[in-house]
Amino acid sequence: MDVGSQVTVLYNSPHQIPLGLLIAQYFYLTGLSAGSFVISVVAILGRKVEYKPLGKIGAILAPLCLILAPMNLLSDMAQPLRFWHLMTYLPGYINFKSPITYGVILLTAYPISATIYAYFVLTGNMKWSKVFAIIGIPLAISVHGYTGFILALGKGRALWNTALMPTLFIVSAMVSGIAMMILIAIVRNMFFMKDKTVEEREKDRQLILGLGKFLGGAIIADLFLLFNDILVLLTSSKEAWETAHLLLWGKFAFEFIGVELFFGSIIPLFLVFYPKTAKTFKWLSIASVLVMIGIYAMRFTVVVGGQSVPLH
Amino acid sequence: MAKEEEKRKIRYAMLVDLRRCVGCQSCSVACKSENEVPLSKFRTWVKIIEKGRYPDVSRQFLPALCNNCENPICNRNCPVHATYIRPDGIVMVNMHRCIGCMYCMASCPYDVRYVNPLRKIVQKCFWCAHRVDAGLLPACVETCLGRALIFGDINDPNSEISQVLATNAVVRLKPELGTDPHVFYIAADADAMDPTKGIDIDKIRFMEPY
Repeated sequence: MDVGSQVTVLYNSPHQIPLGLLIAQYFYLTGLSAGSFVISVVAILGRKVEYKPLGKIGAILAPLCLILAPMNLLSDMAQPLRFWHLMTYLPGYINFKSPITYGVILLTAYPISATIYAYFVLTGNMKWSKVFAIIGIPLAISVHGYTGFILALGKGRALWNTALMPTLFIVSAMVSGIAMMILIAIVRNMFFMKDKTVEEREKDRQLILGLGKFLGGAIIADLFLLFNDILVLLTSSKEAWETAHLLLWGKFAFEFIGVELFFGSIIPLFLVFYPKTAKTFKWLSIASVLVMIGIYAMRFTVVVGGQSVPLH
Repeated sequence: MAKEEEKRKIRYAMLVDLRRCVGCQSCSVACKSENEVPLSKFRTWVKIIEKGRYPDVSRQFLPALCNNCENPICNRNCPVHATYIRPDGIVMVNMHRCIGCMYCMASCPYDVRYVNPLRKIVQKCFWCAHRVDAGLLPACVETCLGRALIFGDINDPNSEISQVLATNAVVRLKPELGTDPHVFYIAADADAMDPTKGIDIDKIRFMEPY
């Protein structure tokens, strides 16, 4: 007889979930921004001229998503009007050990550099857009990597407190960023290229289908990291096991196994690599939408699911 | 961590002797009244569990409060230094500085912080520092009818808490996390200390922060 089954909790104070859906949404939007910025820079720094339209799409999407992202943070704060407390950069007023402080610096620097980059890309100034691409890449990586640190340094939560978290976040940012780029590029190809010749449109089409392969590669990397994470959770501490239980067959099984893994990773992977579906815009856009929903579910399970193990 | 503790002239700590606890919740009530803790929020409370099968049964208590850690993760993660550590080791929240980002609540391994729904800032047990500064004991210690709570300076070898700590087997909550908590328990029950025991983890209800 299991001793644990004979224990009944008669009284306890309520358990709380401090960081909710807004924080998950913030992580999602910074991820979209960082992912599309990296793809844009790869397209701009690359030698091939036909990749340049992708560079423009990414350059617009990156600052756009990052303007929306901190609004989630502000509305999640209990005291939004005290936001300026974060920006008094004086020792004793600001804690430089806190990941949120890294975030404040990065969330100030990255949108500015991304906007300047977008200006130079759209005006066709290749020299300066390359300069700002090189400045922006570490900023884009760290603006999303730091959100991983926010969770990784919350050491009370077994799902968060892993060194894998920043890498997992950067890779999933790439996945969702590429998926959004594909969707916007498909819309551009279908509706905004009516004046172009058939060859140009076909070239653009091949480019987008190539992006689909990139998406597949990023999904494989993401799945590999998730597999590592879950495997360690299953064999680590008791809280870690309980978290794994919640994700795999407990309360968050639908979000994690169903939406994130099956609909958000496995089906898109199939659609992207199966020769018959990989060559049509219809299936590619379905795969991208599924991936974007899947990554949103991933942010939700990580943020809310991580806090769903009681601590007292 | 240990060096920091030796540097302190005074290091307050709390000792809970569960052999004397009757689970009456008067510490929770005294704390609520002393600190004006809002409804549905608690700075200290007594977790009560029942275990065993008739006739071998018992009811176990676990008074929970902020551990005022020597190496608190909430202090490390607070972006605006709203959480700070007093020279006597009490971890405080500056209510004028707190922005309510709730990151301290998310990272606290003991879940003892809450957002005050009226003031919209994070609060927690600070061992009634205002009473301690006035030479009084914390409200929960003052009111505990079984004298299960002992509060005092562990750097003073003549204090009651030092003597009880030196002569008893004590445990702490989650010492493996390296936060160095300073609430010590005598005769604490392993099932009461385990947060996942006795509940269905898929069915427990969670509260919005405020």
